[in-house]
Amino acid sequence: MRRSSAIVVATIATTALALSACGRDGGSASGATTEGKDVSSGKATGTITVWAMGAEGEKLPALAKEFEAANPGAKVNVTAIPWDAAHDKFTTAITANKTPDAAMVGTTWMGEFAGLGALDPTPPSIDKSQFFEGAWKTTEVDGTSYGIPWYVETRLLYFRTDLAKKAGFAEAPKDWEGLKAMAKAMQTKSGAKWGIGLQAGGTGSWQTLMPFAWSNGADLTKDGGKAYNFDTPEVQEAVKYYQSFFTEGVSDKAAPATPTTEPDFASGRVPMFISGPWMMSAVEKVGGAGFKDKYSVAPMPTKKTSSSFVGGSDFVVFKNSKQRDTAWKFVQFLSDPKTQVKWYQQSTDLPSVQSAWEDPAISSDPKLATFGEQLKTAQAPPSFPTWEQVISQFDTELEKVTKQGADPAAALKTVQQQAESIGTGGQ
Amino acid sequence: MIGTRKSSGHWWLYAILTVCLVAVISPFVWMVLGSFKSEGELRQSPPTWWPEAASLDNYTQLFSRLDFGTYFANSIVVAIVVTAGNLLFCSMLGYALAMLEFPGKRALFVIVMATLMIPGVVTFVPLFVLVANVGLIDSLPGLILPFLVSPFGVFLMRQFIMGLPRDLLDAGRVDGAGELRIFARIILPLCGPALATLGILTFLGSWNNFLWPLVVAQTEDTYTLPVALALYSKGQNSTNYGLLLAGATVVVLPVLAVFLAFQRRFIEGIATTGIK
Amino acid sequence: MSVTSPQGHAPSRRPASRSGLREGRAAWALALPFCLLFLTFTVWPVIQSLFMSFTDTRSRDLKTPFAVNVVGLDNFAKAFQDPLFLRSAANTAYFVLVGVPLTLVLALAAAVALDRGITRLRAVFRLGFYLPVITSIVAVAVVWRFLLQDEYGLINTVLGWVGIDGPNWLGDPDWSMPALILMAAWRNFGTAMIIFLAGLQAVPWSLHEAAAIDGAGAWKRFRYITLPLLRPTILFVSVTTGIGYLQFFEEPYVMTNGGPLNSTLSMSMYTYRQFGFGNYGYAASVSYIIFVVIAVVTAIQFRLLREKD
Repeated sequence: MRRSSAIVVATIATTALALSACGRDGGSASGATTEGKDVSSGKATGTITVWAMGAEGEKLPALAKEFEAANPGAKVNVTAIPWDAAHDKFTTAITANKTPDAAMVGTTWMGEFAGLGALDPTPPSIDKSQFFEGAWKTTEVDGTSYGIPWYVETRLLYFRTDLAKKAGFAEAPKDWEGLKAMAKAMQTKSGAKWGIGLQAGGTGSWQTLMPFAWSNGADLTKDGGKAYNFDTPEVQEAVKYYQSFFTEGVSDKAAPATPTTEPDFASGRVPMFISGPWMMSAVEKVGGAGFKDKYSVAPMPTKKTSSSFVGGSDFVVFKNSKQRDTAWKFVQFLSDPKTQVKWYQQSTDLPSVQSAWEDPAISSDPKLATFGEQLKTAQAPPSFPTWEQVISQFDTELEKVTKQGADPAAALKTVQQQAESIGTGGQ
Repeated sequence: MIGTRKSSGHWWLYAILTVCLVAVISPFVWMVLGSFKSEGELRQSPPTWWPEAASLDNYTQLFSRLDFGTYFANSIVVAIVVTAGNLLFCSMLGYALAMLEFPGKRALFVIVMATLMIPGVVTFVPLFVLVANVGLIDSLPGLILPFLVSPFGVFLMRQFIMGLPRDLLDAGRVDGAGELRIFARIILPLCGPALATLGILTFLGSWNNFLWPLVVAQTEDTYTLPVALALYSKGQNSTNYGLLLAGATVVVLPVLAVFLAFQRRFIEGIATTGIK
Repeated sequence: MSVTSPQGHAPSRRPASRSGLREGRAAWALALPFCLLFLTFTVWPVIQSLFMSFTDTRSRDLKTPFAVNVVGLDNFAKAFQDPLFLRSAANTAYFVLVGVPLTLVLALAAAVALDRGITRLRAVFRLGFYLPVITSIVAVAVVWRFLLQDEYGLINTVLGWVGIDGPNWLGDPDWSMPALILMAAWRNFGTAMIIFLAGLQAVPWSLHEAAAIDGAGAWKRFRYITLPLLRPTILFVSVTTGIGYLQFFEEPYVMTNGGPLNSTLSMSMYTYRQFGFGNYGYAASVSYIIFVVIAVVTAIQFRLLREKD
C-alpha cells in the first residue's frame, strides 16, 4: 500500500514539474512580408527529392529527365504519393522534419503549411506577372509568396447545348436571371428533372457558391486582408440567389452526398452543373461517342463581373531543404512556358503561365479556351491557416440555408461570428 | 436421434441462408465484375451488373504502371511477421492473464484494456515522431514493430483460454512439467480456433493498413500494396474507378487465401482434448 | 474466483508460495515481449497525447511540444459546449445502442446456423458471410448507394411491392442513420460470426446429446447449454464490437460525409476533422473523452456479462 502511494505521489510531482516548464514565448516575429533569398545563376547540381501526387507523380519523372539533361550533375528523384491522405503525409513529415526538397502542394493547403513555417519564400528572380493573378494569389500567405502555381483549374458552367436549344436558348446564359430562366426552361421544355445540379451545402459546397459571391464583387477579407469578411451584402445576395434555386425547385435539395453528376448530365436528368476541367473527359466517357458535341462550357454568369474559383497545385520548396538552389532551379524549369505546354500535353493539367495558353495545342480547343478566359478573372480564397476550419462552418450553415430554408442573413452572421472566434491563425 | 435429424438437412434453413448469402456477397461480386468494366460504364447510375464489354484493361494498366512485385513483397513480409508476432506474444500474455497468478496482473490487464479503448488517431502523430526519432522511418521494421503486439490479440486469447478447464494446468504440474512447457505443449495446441481467428483478423488488419505505411515510407520502395494501389486511382478532384476496383480485387485475394487456409481450424473442435 | 488460494486447491501454505513464485516468474517471462513492445510503441505515445490534451497545442507546435500553454480542462469543457460535438455524441450513441445488438444477433444466428444447423457447404457460407468485411469500402459504398436510392433503389422498390413508400434514405436526416446502421451491421457481422464460430467449438456436443436425450428442444438447449458456455466469447464480441462502433468512421465518411445536416456525424469524424484543422490539443482531448465513454461502456458490459463461477 505504501509503495503504490509513493509511486502515485512521485508521478504527480513529476507531472507537475513537467507542466510548469511549459509555456509559449511572449510574441513571435510578426508577419512582415519576406523576400526569398536569391538563387545563384548557372546550372544546377546535386540531387533533390521531390514529392508529387497521383498521376502527376507518375508523369513528372519524364519531365525531370529533361531538366537533368539540361543540367548535367543534377538529379531529381520523384516519389509519387497518393492523393488520399496526402495532406496527412505532409503534416506528419513537417512535424518530424522529414520533408523533401520540393513538392507539389494543393492550393488549399498553402496557408496551413506556410503557417507551420515549412515553406521557403519565392526568390525574386521568378517573375510573378507571367502567371494568372488568381493563381499567383494561391501562393501568397500573409503577404509572402511561397513557391509557384504549377497547374490550375477553374469552375465553369457545364450545360447541354441540345437540350438548351430545345428549351429555346441558343447560347449560354450571360447573367444571373438568364441562368435561372434557362434552368427552369429545361425543366419544363426539355424533360429535365432538375434544371441545374448545385451542391446543397455540406463539405466543399463553398466551391460552388463562392464563384457567385465573387462574381458579385465580394471580398472575403477585410482590414487590409487581415480578417475574414463573410457578412457582407455581396455574399448575402449570392447566398440568397443560391437558395432560390432550391426553394423554387430548380435544384435538388435532397441530393446524396456523392452526386451522380455524369450519368444525370448524359441522360438529361440534370442538364447543367458547375465544375472543373476534369469533368469534360468524365462526362464524355459516360455520354459515349459524339457526346462532346452535345454540351459546352461557359464562364460564370455575370453579376458585377464574371469570376470563379481557381484551384490546382502549387510547387513549393521546403525551408529545410539542403539543396535549395537546385530545387528552385527545378521550380523555375517547371514555370517555363515551353515546359508548361509540354506538361499539358503529357498530363492535361492546365498551365498556370498565361503565355502557355497561346500554344496551338491549347488554344485550338474552344472548351479549353473558355477555361483560359475564366482563369483571367478567377479568384482564390484567402490563404489563412484556419481557412479549412472556418469554411467548414460556412458549409454547415449553407446546408441549413438550402435544405431548411434558413435565413441567409442570419446564417452569414453566425459564420462571421465563428470565423472571428476561430481567428485567422496568423502570427 | 439428433444425428439423423441433423442429416435430414433442414432445407428451409439452407434456403434462407442462400438468399442471405446472395444478398451479402453482391457488393463483392460487383467489385470483381466492375474491375473488368470501362470507366464510363462504371459511372453509370443505376450501376450495371455484367460488363458490357469485359476487358483486362484495368489490370494491364495496374500492373504496367506499378512495380507490383516490390509492393506485394513488402506487404506480405510485414503482414506475416506482424501476424506471427501477434499469435505468439499475445497468446503468451493472454495465457498468463487467464490462468496464472502474479503480482501486477490486474494492473496489466487494466492497462491493456485501456489502450484497446483509446482511439488510434490520437497516438498517430506522437508514434510517428517516435519512430522518426529512433531512425525507423522508411524501413520495414518501422512498419512492423508498432503493430507486432496488440491489446486486441491479448484480450481475445485471454477470453478464449479462460474457457479452457483449469484441470489441464494441474494435470501438467502433477506430471512435473515446467510452466512454459505447460503453455507450449498443453494450452497452445488447444487454442486452434482462437489462433485461427486472431490470425485472420491480424493479417487482414495489417494487409489493409494504409495510413501508417503511407506516412512512414519516404521512397516508393517501402510502399505496401494498399499505398501503391491508391497512387493512380484517386486524383485531386476525380477518381479512376476502374483502377480502384481492379486494385481492390487484387488486394483482397491474399486475404481470401489466408481465410480459406485458416478457417479449416474452425472445424477442428475440442473433440480431441478429452475433457471430463 | 474461488475462495481458496489462487491455485484453487493447495491445502498448505508452503507449496503454494513456492509454486506461486514459480508461477509469477513464468507469467512475467511470458508477458515480457509484449510489455516491452507495448511500452515503447503504445504507452509512450499515449502519455504524449494525453499531455497534449491538456494544452492548446496546434499543429505548428508539434516541433516544440513544450512551448505551449497548459490550459488544464479547458479543451474538455470546450468540447461539451460545442453543439456539433454534442450532436456527434448523440449520433454515436444511437449508432451503438441499435447497431451492436443488431450485429451480435445477426452474427450469433449465422454462427449457430453454420455450426449446428447445416452440414454441407459450411465453408462456402462461412466465406460468403465474411466477404463484406474484406470487400473494399468503395465497392460497398457504390452498391449500398444504389440500394438506398430514393427513386429506383432496390430497398425502396421492394418496399413499394408491399405498399410502403420508402424514404430518401441518404438524403433525409431522419433516415440516414438507420441506413448506415443497417450497412454497418451487414458489413461487420462477419467478424463477429467467425469469433462466435470459434467459441462454439468449445461447447461439447456430448452435452447437447445428453440434454436431447432428456427431451430438451433446440431452443432450450441453446438457451441453457450454448449461451452460458459462450459467455466469455459473447463478452469479447460485445466489447470489441462496442469499441469499434463507438469509433465508427468509415461508413459515414464514405457514404454521407457526416450529413445530411450532421445527422450521421460520428465522434470519430469530429475528432478527425479537428486533427485536420490542426487543433491537436483540442482533438486529443476529444479523443480522450471518447476513451472515457468507451471505458464506461466496456465496464458496464463486463459487469453484465462477466464470468460467473
